[in-house]
Parts: sequence; structure tokens; C-alpha cells
Amino acid sequence: MMETELTDDIDQPLRDRLKAHPRPALLWAAGLCVLLLLEGPTYLDGLLGAIGAGLALLPGAPGAEAFASASAFFSELPHLLSRELVPNRGYYDGSAWQGTFLGLEPKYAWLIRFLLVYAYVAALLGWLWYGYVLFRRHYRAANWTPTDDVIDRLRSHYWGLFGLAVVVFFITMAAFAPVVGPTTAEENIEGPYSHDMKYYNEDTETVETITIGEANLGSASRGSGDSNVGIWSYDDFGRFHPVGTLVSGKDLFTFLAFGARVSLFIGLGSMAIAGFIATTLALVTAYYKGVTDLIVVLTSDSVQAMPALLLVILATVVFRNHWIAELYSGAMLFILLFALIRWPGLWRAVRGPALQVGEQEWVDAAKSYGQRPTVIMRKHMAPYILGYLLVYASLTLGGVIISVSALSFLGLGITAPTPEWGRAINIGQQYIASQSWHISLIPGILITLVVTGFNAFSDGIRDAIDPQSEGAEGGATGAAAGGGGG
Amino acid sequence: MPETPADNWREVTQMSESIVDTVSHQTGETLLDVQDLKTYYEGGGLFGGDPVKAVDGVNFEIARGETFGLVGESGCGKTTLGRTLIQLETATSGTVSFDGTDITELSGGDLKQWRRNAQMVFQDPESSLNDRMTVGEIIREPLDVHEQGTARERREKVRTLLDEVGLMPEHYYRYPHQFSGGQRQRIGIARALALEPEFVVLDEPVSALDVSVQAQILNLLEELQEEFGLTYLFIAHDLSVVRHICDRVGVMYLGNLMEVGPTEQLFQNPENPYTRALLSAIPEPDPTAQADRITLPGSPPSPRDPPEGCPFATRCPVRIRPEDIDASDEVWDRIREFRDVIRERSRAEQSIGERLKERLGFETALADGDEIVDEEFSDVDLPPDVREHVEQAVTYLSDGDPDAARAYLKEAFGSRCDTETPQYYDVDDRRTSFCHRHATDHDAPGEELRRRGYDTHDG
Repeated sequence: MMETELTDDIDQPLRDRLKAHPRPALLWAAGLCVLLLLEGPTYLDGLLGAIGAGLALLPGAPGAEAFASASAFFSELPHLLSRELVPNRGYYDGSAWQGTFLGLEPKYAWLIRFLLVYAYVAALLGWLWYGYVLFRRHYRAANWTPTDDVIDRLRSHYWGLFGLAVVVFFITMAAFAPVVGPTTAEENIEGPYSHDMKYYNEDTETVETITIGEANLGSASRGSGDSNVGIWSYDDFGRFHPVGTLVSGKDLFTFLAFGARVSLFIGLGSMAIAGFIATTLALVTAYYKGVTDLIVVLTSDSVQAMPALLLVILATVVFRNHWIAELYSGAMLFILLFALIRWPGLWRAVRGPALQVGEQEWVDAAKSYGQRPTVIMRKHMAPYILGYLLVYASLTLGGVIISVSALSFLGLGITAPTPEWGRAINIGQQYIASQSWHISLIPGILITLVVTGFNAFSDGIRDAIDPQSEGAEGGATGAAAGGGGG
Repeated sequence: MPETPADNWREVTQMSESIVDTVSHQTGETLLDVQDLKTYYEGGGLFGGDPVKAVDGVNFEIARGETFGLVGESGCGKTTLGRTLIQLETATSGTVSFDGTDITELSGGDLKQWRRNAQMVFQDPESSLNDRMTVGEIIREPLDVHEQGTARERREKVRTLLDEVGLMPEHYYRYPHQFSGGQRQRIGIARALALEPEFVVLDEPVSALDVSVQAQILNLLEELQEEFGLTYLFIAHDLSVVRHICDRVGVMYLGNLMEVGPTEQLFQNPENPYTRALLSAIPEPDPTAQADRITLPGSPPSPRDPPEGCPFATRCPVRIRPEDIDASDEVWDRIREFRDVIRERSRAEQSIGERLKERLGFETALADGDEIVDEEFSDVDLPPDVREHVEQAVTYLSDGDPDAARAYLKEAFGSRCDTETPQYYDVDDRRTSFCHRHATDHDAPGEELRRRGYDTHDG
């Protein structure tokens, strides 16, 4: 712990404290730089690409092209987690594997890249945690903060940690979708007939070239006879499929990785918007009460009275040819729809805590010295409801993912060919009793796992921020925390 | 000898005897002048309803440098009055002139500027500090809001304040969780003093604390008053604390100030009947002392529907009785209870179902006037004229018109206490009392109390 002598130094700002004792911070920053540089091109590519895509939406698309080309430039640069560094696609030339990483079998080459991605993410998160620990040890002026207790409680909450692990797994899969799959979405799913591949023809014992589309025809999983590529197996063209292929012969794992992207994008996007609406309204209604509150209650009741699924189906039909439905194969439309449908639930969940904190005397105290209402809401009320919001948002997020899958299952969701888990379940439904059971079952299990993960994580946060909800154990912690006073 | 709360208690009360005379540093110049101030809370429902008359027309002045105490039972409006004085509540009418400025008229930037002059220390140290901020941030916030000095100067100022209220400067980066109730209250006091206000509202600042800590905080408040020349409004329901710290006291009942005067005069020799009743509730340390307490009957009326004349009329032990009715004290007691019941009845809102039943001629649960009469009057002899009035009221009640019964009883048994708002009578030096009995054509409250068989403090 830093010395807290009674000198002028004790209240110096963080910058000064860093200056006084820079070594741990510099070492940590250097480590972070290395980790980020390893993957720098990916981040810049993604960032610039997103800005470019955003600009392209504006009328006239100012500067969109510049960003797109900059993004393309960075995507060419070598980096750690790339298919080029650890390639898994190659062909057998009769004696050895050509084009794969170190001449390994595609299976192992892919596995190495897959594990490398997760090792990198683990290292990055570990380093960030280490940074937090360093900050606590060397640079934070307060020896103890209420957040410390929350983090300590979360650290010993194993069900919550399991949820966190699942969520991280899922997010990593979505974020690094182009790298973790054995093949790419562009070549395997979107334009299979525009790309060629080489393979070893065992009959002629020669290496032949074929379009990926044709190869897919030969690797389809259709349940009957030898027309199946199951989990952890090769197809006839020397391609490895960790969880088998789809009915169309496309790689299911690649499909799932990109599907995770869409699900996560819709889930997080809609929860961010709904959460923002819910928090703002909860704070405003708890601060002003009266008529404001009444209006919001009536509005939210009206929204909740609408049958959600029918509304979404209606909207997908109404907006079918609208430009908004074109964005990310309709994902943007779903974000807005789910934000609209789900904010009342979130608002109701945080309204109680907001009303409660609005009655605290520190809010009156802030009014009494003339603090602005917006600052009072942000500084004196919002911190007390954000925890609850996080809990309910992650619970709701699972529901959104299920809803999107359900819509895709009904053929109304994300338009093909953009991958979506629900569509895989739909496609594989008729093969569930055959040897091609993996088409439906694997995405089904994944959805269950991810939703459970988000629920477990939210359980963990709830118990961490509100130990009373856990029972006697929490009370003891609270007393210990209260007893640490000076 | 182990220290018990009772010992501490005695200490506090004894201390009050010795300190009382030393706490007169007021200059006589008026800082705060409150004229006919009313603060009503609008009815909770959508369609209005009666407002809650939390403060219903009070007048008083506070001199610069003095400590003005405000006492009364829970719900009498003393906290609302305090909150109105620092503009946490909007006054419904009346004026609060602070150093010559009517602060009820202020708004926007002017109000924000004025707020520096008046601060508040809150009752509950658990709830008055934001747990997610460090002590330094909490005390600094008022300075940040009013942008006083540079960041470094503000931090410096916070450390000085921490020192002044008896905390350590290194507590700057601690969180409120790490402090005891008394220490938290010190933080609240430091925050209130950050802007160097002239006037501080202390809303029961010690009632949530242990008795031993109470004395420390009270002493701190007195030291700070001495040092910074503060003017206090001290709100409390604990009379010994008030006697200990206040120069002048206002006694509040149902939104009205019943009696205002210098502390010692008021405590030694209460004039207003309500003050007498309140003071007689102070426990006597001497177990052998035999004093009849004035136990007030019933409960305070709803502030949504306060009595028309004197607010205390429904419970007053020395209420003026009409001269044309001759009845014993006991009968008058029963009449008062009967009127209480009728008043409650007229306030009780009937459900639509009950109204419908009434229309259709069914018996409703509320119409049993005879039962009430049985309950109230079966064991006393009623003079014929009283009985006549009671029966007439019951007739109204049976007709389903409790409002008429209430009005009738008021007409029959009421006096000027029921119809006429009293005025403030000067009872002695700088002391005013809000009671009809101070008028020359009535017996004074003390005299009447003795006649009705109560013990009184004064001779």
C-alpha cells in the first residue's frame, strides 16, 4: 500500500502520483502495447472499417472511401492471429500436406490457431486485470473503495465466473470470427463459386482444382448414406470440419462463428439502446416524479401491451424493402425493434432502485447547494442503478438472442446468406433423427449455453452488488466492510 | 462505574443547566424574517384532493448569531419548515426574507447564488452521504458547484474543514462506509460549512446518534457557531437537547407555531396549553417526584383537514366551552371523544359500493350512530340539552350525512376555539403564544388548567 502520510502529496491527482512512481505503470503500459501491437492491424482494420461503414450511411458518404481503403491497407498487414500466419487450408499431394502450418494436418493447424486466439484473449484480459491490481496497489489514493467489495464478492462467486467465462468465450468467437473458423465466410458461405481450391484426388492420385461451391456439393450433410460430414472429421476434399457441415456442405463452425457475431451485435446493440432509454427515464421519473412518472408508466404499459412477436413479424414485413432493413442483413432493424420492445422491462426493473435512491438525503443535500439536476442524476443516482441495469440487461440479452434465433427459425430473421444460429436449427430440423443430427443440435446447445452464461453472469453481478439478496453470508461481509472504518 | 445511556443522559441535561447562559452571542439584528409562511403538498392523486398543509401560516424571526429551536411531535411540519427556509421546498405563500431579500421569489442563477448562504445538516448520517464518493469528493462538491478557487485550493479547503470538524485530513480518500455514525455526521457538517454559509438548518442532527456521541456533536456545533458566527435553526423533538443548545424556541403543532420565546422562559414557565402538555412529557429524573402529566387525548388531526379555528382545539385540555351548556368535565371529555369519532367518520371516504348500498336502503357498516352513543355516553349522566344535541347529530349520521352531524356538533358545542384562528399574544418579554385564552376576556391557560385538575409548573 502507498504511504498515506500527512503531507501535501496525499491529495495530488493521479497524474502526479504516476510521475512520482512511474516504473510499474510504464512496465504495464509496455506490456499492453506489445499485446495490442500483435493484433494492431486487426483493431485498426475493424475500427476504420466501422467508421467507413458509418460514413457510407450518410448522404454523399463523405470520406467513406478513404476509411475503407485505410481499413483495407491495415487488413493486409501481418499480425499474430491471422490465417496467413497459421494457415490450416492446404492439400495433400500424396506424400505430405502442402500449404498448412508447418506441414501439419489441417486438423492440428486449425486447432493451433483456434487455441492461439483464446490464449491471446486470456493474456489480454489477464494483463488488464493485472493493470487494475497495479493501480490499486500503487496509484489509487483510497485504500479501499466500495467497488473492491463488489469485485471480491464476484471473484468468489463460481456460478457467476462460469457465466463470465461463457460470455468471454462467446464474445471472442464473435470478435475473431474470421480467424477462428476453419474457412472464411466470404469463400465458403457467400461466394463459393468465385473461389477455387486444390485437393488430392485419390482415384487419379493427382492434385486437382475445383471451385469451393462444387466441393461443398460433395461435402453436404443430408443424413442418408455416405452423404454426411459429422463432427471432428474431414470431407472428401481434405477439408477439416470441427463440427461437421451444413446441408449445403458449408462448414458449420464458420457459420456458427459468424452467427455469433450477428447475435451478439443485435443483443448488445438493442440492450445498449434499451438500457440507455431505461436509465434516462428511470432517473428523470425518479427525480421529477408526478406527471413525468405517470406519462412514462402509461407509455411503457402501452408498449408492453403489444404482442412482441407479432409486432416484430409485422415490422419485418413492413420494412422489407426499406433501406434500414438492408443494414447488416436486417440486424439493424432488429436492434431498433428489440430496443423498442425491451426498454419497458428494463425501465421497470431499475425504476424501484431509482425511486429509492431519489429519496436519499444526499440528493436533497446536492439540491441544497445548487447542484444541477442532470449532475445530480448522473453522479448521485445513476451509480446506484447501473448495477441493476447490468443484471437485467444481461438477462434480457439472452432473451433477445433466443428471439432472433426463433425468428430466423421461422424464416423471418436475418436474411440469408448471413449466418444466424436459428437458421441452422431450422435447416437441420428434419435431419435431427439421422446421422446429420449435428446441424440442429450444435447450434441449439450453443444458444442454450450462451443464454445460461449470460444469466449466470447476471446472477453473479447481482449477488456482488447486493449481498443481502444472498442471505446471511452477505450480511457478514457487509458487517466486515462496515467494520473497517477509522 | 459502567457508563449507561442514562448516565450520559443526565450529563447532557446537567450540562444544559450550566451552558444555557453562556450561549448568547446574538447581535439582535434580524437575519431571517418569516411572514405567514405556508407550504402545502399537493394531493397525491391525479385529481388533486386536499393538499397536506404541512406548514400553515407561521411567523417568526431569527436574529443573526442565535440558535432558534423548533420542537414538536413527528409530522407537525417542523422539517418541512426547515426545508422551506433553505428552498428545498417551494413555499405556497408568505415570505421568507433573508437579510432583506425575499428568497421565496428567487429562481435560477439568483437562487443558486443565494444557496451559498444557507445550508442544511441532515438527520440521518447513513442517508445524507453518497456512499460511492470519497469523503473528500463529498465535502468538495459544494465548492465545485460554486467554482470556488482552483482545484488545489479546494482540496486544501476540504482538509481544513476536515480538521475543523474533528476528523483527520488523511480521511480525504476514505469512503463513508469506513466511518461511524458520529463521524459521518461530522462529514455532513463539514459539507454544510464548505460554502461558509451564514445560516444552517440542523434537522435533528443528533437524533440518530448514540447519546454519548450526541453530546460531542452538540459541542462541536456550538464551537463552530462561535468560530464562524453561524445562525442555526435547530429542529428537534428531543426537548433536553433543545434546552441545551437553543437561545429561543418555537413550539410547533400541526403546521402552526404555538409559542415562541426565549428557551429558559419557555421551559421554566410555559404559557401555551400545547407547550405545557409537551413539556410535561419530559421524563422526571427523580423517581419519587409525583407530577401528573398532561396526557393529550386522541391523535393529531390530519394535516389535510386541520381544524378550522385553533389547530390544537380538538385535543386542548383547556378548550373554551360555550357558556350556555352546563356539564361536568367528564361529560365534556365524552363530547370531545364523540366529536372525534364523527370527524373521523366524515373524513372516511365511502366506497362506491357502500354509497350504492346506502342508496338502495341497505344497512351499511358506517351508519351505526346509536352504537357510538352507547359506547361513549352509557356510563355518564347527560344533561338534557346535551342529550338533545347528541341525538340530533345521530339522526344526521343515520341519514348518511356525517358532514352535517359534524357541523351540527360544532354549532352546538363549539366555541371561539373552533371557529376563530387565535392571534399571537405577547405573554411576556419577547414571548408570544397562539391561544385564545390569553385574551383578556378569558382565564389564562395556567389558571384554567389548575381548575380542571392538572398540575402546572408555574405558581
